[in-house]
Amino acid sequence: MSDVFLSLKDVSVRRGSSLVLKNLNLQVETGQVVLLNEKNGSGKSTIIEAAAGLLPIETGEILHHGDLLLDHNGRSRRPQTAFGLTLQSDGCIGSLRVEEHIYNALDLSGGRIEIDSWLRRYNLAHRRHDLIAHLSGGQRRKVAMLAGILPGFVGSKPRILLLDEPAAGLDEVSRRNLIEDLSTLQERGNAILLASHHADFIASATHIFEENELIVNELRTQTTTKQDEIKNEDGRGNVVLRTSIALNQRTLSTLANNGIAGLLTLGIVLALVDASAVESNLIQASGLYLSAAFAAGLVGDTMISMLHEHRALDWWKAHRQGIPHSYLHAFVIGMGVTALTQLGFDSELSWVLTLIGGLLTAATMAILRTMELATSRLARPRAAFVRILTPVLILPFALLVQWITDSNLL
Amino acid sequence: MGNRLAESILLLGFVGIGATLYLAFLKAPSVSINAFESPDAQRIFYWHVPAAWAAFIAFGILFVGSGLWFFNRSALGWRMHVAGAEAGLATGLMTIWSGMVWGSAEWGVPWDWTDVRLNTFGLLTFLALFLVLGRQAQPDGVETRDTFSTFGLFGFVLVPVTYVATRLWQIRHPGPVVGGGESGSLNGEMAVILFIGAISFTIFIIGHVLMSMRITSLEQRLESLQEAMDKV
Repeated sequence: MSDVFLSLKDVSVRRGSSLVLKNLNLQVETGQVVLLNEKNGSGKSTIIEAAAGLLPIETGEILHHGDLLLDHNGRSRRPQTAFGLTLQSDGCIGSLRVEEHIYNALDLSGGRIEIDSWLRRYNLAHRRHDLIAHLSGGQRRKVAMLAGILPGFVGSKPRILLLDEPAAGLDEVSRRNLIEDLSTLQERGNAILLASHHADFIASATHIFEENELIVNELRTQTTTKQDEIKNEDGRGNVVLRTSIALNQRTLSTLANNGIAGLLTLGIVLALVDASAVESNLIQASGLYLSAAFAAGLVGDTMISMLHEHRALDWWKAHRQGIPHSYLHAFVIGMGVTALTQLGFDSELSWVLTLIGGLLTAATMAILRTMELATSRLARPRAAFVRILTPVLILPFALLVQWITDSNLL
Repeated sequence: MGNRLAESILLLGFVGIGATLYLAFLKAPSVSINAFESPDAQRIFYWHVPAAWAAFIAFGILFVGSGLWFFNRSALGWRMHVAGAEAGLATGLMTIWSGMVWGSAEWGVPWDWTDVRLNTFGLLTFLALFLVLGRQAQPDGVETRDTFSTFGLFGFVLVPVTYVATRLWQIRHPGPVVGGGESGSLNGEMAVILFIGAISFTIFIIGHVLMSMRITSLEQRLESLQEAMDKV
């Protein structure tokens, strides 16, 4: 196996109207800590985000462990070995607990280590069960930093660690600890790409990348650390589903948004429509019974709003293992409001129609979610007005109602 | 003189549209009172059909522009995308508004949710509205251009669907008046006025697109000058 873990070949990246990176070549090998410490606006964060495959590239290709991650034609692959990532904007969802975010980072890398000692080391042990939203900026940064470095301690196989300003806002003790930990990670063979302004990190870098050139760092001082044995255990699967359920149960966001829209529609339909008139018109009946489920789906996936906090969406996207969603809750809510609508009209409960109601809510939500994700690259994704496009769903809804009527499902 | 070309074409288009309206309301022959619920309202069709024709030209420009930006990163392509979206919105709204007036008089309802052409055309106009509002809310840059040109490319699927809709699912919308066989034939005077309308709206859309492309080009120049001044 090649010693080159991370390779950016002839990479150009445009952001806004400027070409931030032009034909950049950079290789990071096992056991190297490459420091990016040029001045503001030189493209340090762009290099980290490009290395994580988060930015479309105009030329060249990005390889992880010799395999393609992303190229200029838009071809993208999930890396065989997961990498650690700390983004400049934390990438944490405020409604997750401290331990949940760190365990997510570990599970995405395929294993777990015991995190108590790490939380104590960075003075977060007493905050372990707190929501990230309740932390100070510095504490949140520590969580983001731990989520980026701890995958480097999982298993025996070294990996790529991409750390963008991991020490921003950290106190001096934590910064010193981080420098020691970086040395340990380097000794374990991890390939670390680190962007930082702090002069302290020059001591831990094996190389410095300046003006498109990789220079051996003569100022490096080897820090010897006493490394306790790290106990590894298997990672838990279904990280995305687990996070989706935890977030929805904690915030009740799908119930509070989609559920309320469905119930309001149900109330309006019951108040305005005469039940006896509906019985005789099957097409009207199927449309009415499904209208609340359709309205619930039209609210979209509220998870996307949570993921926009501190660029958490980018953190999840970079790992290429899925993005938290609310499909399961939408399905249950869709079934619930469809059943309630049928009962409200004194109609016999049709389980098939109830099931279709659940699927309709989840599918409608999925389409809106896709539209919102398609605009997530914009500088102001929430000002993209994707809801203007929702009338596109009316025709499929009408066709579904027609099909239900023709199939005699009622 | 070259700078005034767009304004001149636009003005010519407006004059032609004014002439079409005059001819439609005062000179066009009346239709049979047996064939329509509201024969007088039918005169709006001399506005409605050319406006829809112009909208399709605008959506075509939007599609070509989106493709040129998306595949070639062509600055001209982006200007075409912006111009096509704005012109598509303007002519799309003209078409929908006139169609709703006619629908109210002839069908008794301004909108029919079961009519495929009506709904797909409405969606095209919504797409143009989304592209115009969305672009105005974002700073110009490669992310904005990539995202909106993608929507422009996907949205164009609706154009052929809208065109063939009355052939495949003729529910309420009249069939094609041009290229629709014997059922779509018009008498001579009607055809001439409709032709004048189509030419006028085509000239109008060309002027609109040229004007919009010039404005976008000036905006881009202003932005690059501002960026240069930021670096001083």
